[in-house]
Amino acid sequence: MTHFSPLNRRSFLKTSASGLVAATAIGRSRQAFAAEPIHFATWSAAVDTVKSHIAAFEAKTGLKVEYSNAPFAQYRETMITKFVGKAPVDMMWVSDSWLPEWADAGWLAPIDQYKNLTAYNADVDDFCNASMTYKGKQYGLTYYTDYMAFLYNADLLQKAGFSAPPSSWAEVAEQAKAIKAKGLSQYPVMIALAQESWLIEFISAMLFSHGGRFTDDHGDAVMQDPTTGAVSTLKWLVDAVHKDKILSPSCVETGELAGLKTFSSGQHAFALIPKYRLRTLNDPKQSQIAGHVKLALMPKGDKGSHATVGWMRFYGMTPRAQADATRAADTVKLIEWFGGKADGDYRFQKLLFKDIGAGFGVKSLFKDPEMRAIYATYGDVDLIGQQQSLARKKDVVTTWFGEWNDVNGAAWQQAILGKTSPEQALKASADKWTALKKQG
Amino acid sequence: MSAIARSARPPRTGLGASYDERSAFVLILPLAGVLLAVAVFPILYSFYVSLFSLKLTRPQRVPFVWFDNYAAVFADPQFWDAVQRTVAFSVIAVVAISVLALLVALLLNEDFPGRRVLSAVLLIPWAIPYVANALMWKWIYDSNYGALNGLLYQLDFINSYMVWLGDADKTLPLIANAFVWKEVPLATILLLVGLKTIPSDLYAAAKVDGANIVQRLFHVTLPALAPSFALVIVYETMMAIRHFDLFFILTEGGPGNASDVVAWRVYVETFRNLSFGTGAAMSYILALTTLALSYIVLRTLARRI
Repeated sequence: MTHFSPLNRRSFLKTSASGLVAATAIGRSRQAFAAEPIHFATWSAAVDTVKSHIAAFEAKTGLKVEYSNAPFAQYRETMITKFVGKAPVDMMWVSDSWLPEWADAGWLAPIDQYKNLTAYNADVDDFCNASMTYKGKQYGLTYYTDYMAFLYNADLLQKAGFSAPPSSWAEVAEQAKAIKAKGLSQYPVMIALAQESWLIEFISAMLFSHGGRFTDDHGDAVMQDPTTGAVSTLKWLVDAVHKDKILSPSCVETGELAGLKTFSSGQHAFALIPKYRLRTLNDPKQSQIAGHVKLALMPKGDKGSHATVGWMRFYGMTPRAQADATRAADTVKLIEWFGGKADGDYRFQKLLFKDIGAGFGVKSLFKDPEMRAIYATYGDVDLIGQQQSLARKKDVVTTWFGEWNDVNGAAWQQAILGKTSPEQALKASADKWTALKKQG
Repeated sequence: MSAIARSARPPRTGLGASYDERSAFVLILPLAGVLLAVAVFPILYSFYVSLFSLKLTRPQRVPFVWFDNYAAVFADPQFWDAVQRTVAFSVIAVVAISVLALLVALLLNEDFPGRRVLSAVLLIPWAIPYVANALMWKWIYDSNYGALNGLLYQLDFINSYMVWLGDADKTLPLIANAFVWKEVPLATILLLVGLKTIPSDLYAAAKVDGANIVQRLFHVTLPALAPSFALVIVYETMMAIRHFDLFFILTEGGPGNASDVVAWRVYVETFRNLSFGTGAAMSYILALTTLALSYIVLRTLARRI
């Protein structure tokens, strides 16, 4: 006969302790057998597209990927905190603006030794390859790229009697004044010059098209030199606000997104806007001027060209991933899956382009019939490609870029507000650059 | 010590402390531990950090620099410009809050129909989180589609939309206005509590002495409100000097440097430039200045009370 014996405290503790030991042992043995996943960090863009592409990678290779993302506004700080805290990160999205900082700190590993990755360079735009290269070493594979575009409202130009967009900044001012005089727009030009991360892209685009530079080949400041184009660029902006009144004084508080909204509401004739916004601007659901927004080559300054600024985001790899041969090989596979070809096709770049209109740095995709057909619904694909081939990387991307960028942005705004002259503003910017360069 | 007090004292143990004293010590130990971990340690650690040239983007080089960070901050003209703007912002904000709160408190101290509803409505700005408040004012001040321009235009006060936050001369007063709107309710409550504690006998005596309403305000109400005013001024000065949210959301220190105040400098130095050493030094300077100002205000007003 068996009889019921109630669980006393001692036996309960014994049973619990043995259960805990057994569970820990099983957990450890499982961990020992399961490979550690590839830790992949991005900012919060196209999250579902990224996840689906990861799922396809996992299904094909049997490897596991631990995916995390953070908002772009806090991404740099988040990643640096992770690096300093030695959190596990193998692969991540990197902005070209952070490359020197992250490479010098030892948070990024060069990928030159992986020939299957560098083999893609031949099919990538030159400025993209240059944007991923630092001190002669390549640090990634292309995620997406874009450039600052000069867009115009063709309907407004037609109403003003212009049959073609301006090809120089002098013509922009002339046409804008005519449009203003006819009462078609209070401020025909829209350039968003608020103190935000976009500001350097806007002013670099104008600077390059004026034939200007911030720094010379040795990395020394030349922005203060009246012959190098920066002064004439800033003077054009000051005149546009104060003399010609074709650019609103509120440009210094207008961010990229707010500028997009006002341009899409039909308030302006010309705008500097990132090229990928062209799709939104010609979408009737999102824009009141859909169908009328066209891209023109960046207007030229007196001594300039149709050059513009381009930026680059790429897949980088950490020294942690590179330290272990197996982990490095797995990470390289994932980088190629995203930044190169997946199953023989630039699948992720195409997905991104279809999903959010993100530009690509891969030259052959401009010849892809599917991509051309999509581009053709809202833009001139050949002109888009031509402008991209004239894009240049920023000449101020250094370890001290962020610190200088704040001072430079404030200096340009001071001049545009009329609080200081363009020459004084650029001298202040150059002085800060020189001081920071000295500190290293 | 008297015999009664000696006899009331709990018996001592061999360790020199009574059972009650040791019990009390044990009971407050967890709380003291938590306070040490979450308050005292971070404060001391941030001071320790301020003595290093700690820049997160340069993790291999973190030299101990004694007080060089403090010296660098004091030698930086940008810091002193930011101090000037902080003082201007704080003066505008604290004066406006004190005057408006006094007027509203005097109003709410009277009996009239709808007083309770008005009191409840007054609390709404106070209940709105700072970030939401900042976003709301960003919409109001926007030069292209803002409510302020829309209102003034419809009322025919302006012929075309004005530039508000983008005009460097208007930026600080406009941010101060948004700050005042949020802070007036709390200041009003503090002053109203003070008003309620003034004995009615004082007013009766003043009336008997022939004092009119203005004389009663200056000779009875305001002197009696001095402790409440001290509280309002100290609290609002501390809030204004350290305020960050509105500067972050409305202008990010711009346009140009128009709203580059000390709290914004601390943020830029610490979280954008990732210079934790200099950022910590600036934070200490800001905290000690606030403490000193509060002490001076309290001492000055206490002498007059």
